[in-house]
Amino acid sequence: SKNKRCSLTPRAGNQLTPSLPHFVEEGEEAEEEEEVLTKEVEVGADGVSAMHPDLLELEVDREKCRNIRRHYRQLIYCVQQNREDIVRTASESLTEALEEADVLFDCVSRTREAVLDAQFLVLASDLGKEKAKQLNSDMRFFNHITFCDVLFVFVGLNWMEAECEEFSDCDDSIASFFWETVQKEATSWMLRAETFHYIFGSFKAEHSARKPRLEHHKRSCKMEGNGDMPMKLKKLDLNANQETTEKEVERILGLLQTYFEKCPDVPVSYFEFVIDPNSFSRTVENIFYVSFIIRDGFARIRLDQDKLPILEPTNTSQVDEENDSCSYGRKQGVISLSLQDWKNIISTFEISEAMIKNSY
Amino acid sequence: MLQKPRAHGRPCAQAERECGDPGEEAPSTSRGATGSSQGSRASLAAPAIGQRTQKQLDLKVAELVQFLLIKDQKKIPIKRTDILKHVVVDYRDVYSTLLKLAAERLQYVFGYKLVELEPKSNTYILINSLEPVEEDAEVRGDQGTPTTGLLMIILGLIFMKGNTITETEVWDFLRRLGVYPTKKHLIFGDPKKLITEDFVRQRYLEYRKIPHTDPVDYELQWGPRTHLETSKMKVLKFVAKVHNQDPKDWPTQYCEALADEENRARPASSGPASSS
Repeated sequence: SKNKRCSLTPRAGNQLTPSLPHFVEEGEEAEEEEEVLTKEVEVGADGVSAMHPDLLELEVDREKCRNIRRHYRQLIYCVQQNREDIVRTASESLTEALEEADVLFDCVSRTREAVLDAQFLVLASDLGKEKAKQLNSDMRFFNHITFCDVLFVFVGLNWMEAECEEFSDCDDSIASFFWETVQKEATSWMLRAETFHYIFGSFKAEHSARKPRLEHHKRSCKMEGNGDMPMKLKKLDLNANQETTEKEVERILGLLQTYFEKCPDVPVSYFEFVIDPNSFSRTVENIFYVSFIIRDGFARIRLDQDKLPILEPTNTSQVDEENDSCSYGRKQGVISLSLQDWKNIISTFEISEAMIKNSY
Repeated sequence: MLQKPRAHGRPCAQAERECGDPGEEAPSTSRGATGSSQGSRASLAAPAIGQRTQKQLDLKVAELVQFLLIKDQKKIPIKRTDILKHVVVDYRDVYSTLLKLAAERLQYVFGYKLVELEPKSNTYILINSLEPVEEDAEVRGDQGTPTTGLLMIILGLIFMKGNTITETEVWDFLRRLGVYPTKKHLIFGDPKKLITEDFVRQRYLEYRKIPHTDPVDYELQWGPRTHLETSKMKVLKFVAKVHNQDPKDWPTQYCEALADEENRARPASSGPASSS
């Protein structure tokens, strides 16, 4: 980086140091020209023109002021060009520039020059502020290049350095992976509210313009003409489930009754009847269906001499008579069956296949 | 299948009106349709000022909650004027009550805090009052472009470099991660727009021109939303974690973060108010 130091040494008098760039504001020279008296001016050997003393003084003054302005502009330009160095390095160039401006200011007597001085001061103070900020940051402890490298390591892409020179050369999937991983970590440090979305569509804050009636009418006509409309669900068919239950209950009842006919004196062990050794869920379903059978009075459940539940047939005639419901003293029972219970029963009763064969 | 949702409004409010059940209490002026529905408003029985039933108030609060949630989608602060214009309307006199109730509901139901972006700014944002939990990261659905990662990196850069950096420095850094101001990015699209416009509009960052720079340069600093959604200590911890180091390894920044934590712990005299 360039470390140019502009050292302006304004000399007493009105001579320009020839080595510095001639920096003139556009149009100013022309403006000046107009003010100068048309009287011819001869420049003598000592640099001072030979004319009327009063005019001469005026001209000297103008020349002097012009020089001061040029100096200021050069100073400002110089400082701006070397901004980076002034702010970042520990150089004294800003102080030096201020000192030079100080010296310049001693010669300032007119507003025009004072304005430039003010301009320079604003620039210098801005740079001073920047410099102060740099001091605070203690840059040597945090290196942004290191930060980049550790980011890759953190994400787990340290192998990548060998593969591709620049991250942008890499596969898209690698970039996606990188940003997703960073995202995941980053979100855990922020209290960001999740964006809210309606499941079924959003609320439009703006009132959508009403479609012209003609178009609407056309559209509705069009829809009628076209017969392919999806089937509308007019009513939710909740009965479907009930039918299935009834069918199943009937089927199971049929099985039970077949058994009762075959072996009229042997009551069915409840567990052997309902348990499906291959499926816990079907067992539960069977229990459910059997409960209907019992509720409706087509079978009876009671405990035998071993205190095990058994299923017995009931006389169909008894089902219709209300008396019998009282005499049998209908009771409510709750059967609970855990997975472990089910397994235990299977092993205890040595149930190898389900009595209730599935219809499917 | 379900019908296409109506362009405006809460389905229930709409349905209520359309049912036209005379038996039921007249629905409040909470209108299903927004915008230029002056005519529809006049046709509804406008309740007398001060005589609002609990049901009407509840309806209004519910609308306000919905409004705030929707407006927060883009993460652009919600202006009080918008709230008054679109939701509160003629319930202006109970505005602060409505806002307070809405804030309570947001906190209680959603776990979100309604906070004022800056004291007396009359703009609000929603932030999460629940600390993020690691397990959530797996469950969290697709929340759009993953910009938080990029944001956090920039916030880290800004803080570690003394709370301000130039745009030049940012791009100098980001190009190492394959992000350029002028090149379309696979994930972020237009990164320059994202960083210098979107994040700024969302108030995560401040973007200011640096005077007397040629070519023109800008400086980036933390915005007010950042101070509300995270903290210096948290960002430092993020940076430390990435470095696999301890936050104390950067003493200057650590002290600054500690001071910031102390400021936050102090009962704020001009703390975020949920109602104006």
